[in-house]
Amino acid sequence: MDTCQTGQAELGLLIKQGAEARVYLSSFVGRKCIVKERFSKKYRHPILDSKLTVKRLNAEARCMTKARKLGVVTPVLYGVDPVLHTLTFEFIEGHAVKDILLEFGSNGIVEERLNDIAAQIGIAIAKLHDGGLVHGDLTTSNMIVKEGTNQLVLIDFGLSFTSTLPEDKAVDLYVLERALLSMHSSCGDVMEKILAAYRKSSKQWSATMNKLAQVRQRGRKRTMVG
Amino acid sequence: MQSAKMEPEVALLNASLVPDIFPVLAAAHKALVSKSRESLTTRTLHSELVYNYAASKHISESLKRCGISDQMSYILAVRFNASDDEMTSVTNLINGKEIDLEELEPRSNRDQILKHFKIPPQELAISSLSDAITCRIAARDAL
Repeated sequence: MDTCQTGQAELGLLIKQGAEARVYLSSFVGRKCIVKERFSKKYRHPILDSKLTVKRLNAEARCMTKARKLGVVTPVLYGVDPVLHTLTFEFIEGHAVKDILLEFGSNGIVEERLNDIAAQIGIAIAKLHDGGLVHGDLTTSNMIVKEGTNQLVLIDFGLSFTSTLPEDKAVDLYVLERALLSMHSSCGDVMEKILAAYRKSSKQWSATMNKLAQVRQRGRKRTMVG
Repeated sequence: MQSAKMEPEVALLNASLVPDIFPVLAAAHKALVSKSRESLTTRTLHSELVYNYAASKHISESLKRCGISDQMSYILAVRFNASDDEMTSVTNLINGKEIDLEELEPRSNRDQILKHFKIPPQELAISSLSDAITCRIAARDAL
């Protein structure tokens, strides 16, 4: 049984390949969709590999539905296939925040839009963290601004896990901070705007903020002499 | 509780729980995939659709809640690959008036849906009922 428009074993039009999965464009009962295929690692024992991949698949599906229940905008999950190791989601029309910020970097910043995006990011992460969910891969390429509604959509929960530890939440924010610093420093201090929104929306921000300060320190100390 | 008849085979859903046709299509897609792999959980393809729509792992409870009972007066009949003749015999099975699919939305029981699928207000703020149900149908076996 195939969910695609092109052929028997094909999943659709390949649009991206990452370290963990391939992303295809396809259609699901008439609607444009994304099929994410987690590929098997050939170096693993086949039975173990299949079990692990299915486990990760299920974890991703679970985290996405949990995120939705917390009020975080994610693509709608259309299907999970443990045999083909695929997840089928709604296709989100719009640009990744990464592309928007890069455009700001080269063509000038639209202050209002930047503030809106930053605020939405902060609020979304706050909702996740307060609900005990850590995204695990917070980068600007995992956030899409939906065309028309300008709503922020978080994608790729492949590395997410449940945790209430301030340490895990702080690391989650730190990953985003590093990503912003390396790619989008020309946009000014976006992280500060995100953190401001985070502090406003989160009920447990102080513990996380303290930890973040610690994590930042650790990150800078590259020569661990002692 | 009834979800599949002998002839013609058809899935009968409690239409008050259906705000929109898309989640039903998602449930149908899932049932079709299971059937093609010979891994149906229920006895027939059509009962599998009802089971999938309920987004619960409890089979008999799902069939009871999302299927129909004797007193029910608002039913959605679903059949795979139906020919015109088959659809006519389905219509003859049910003693009632056929209405347009557009009536699904206004006639759906919102509170019953929120309760059955356990949709919290935070989720409603960012999603339609149809999307919330579809997510649950898709992720049921992953939970």
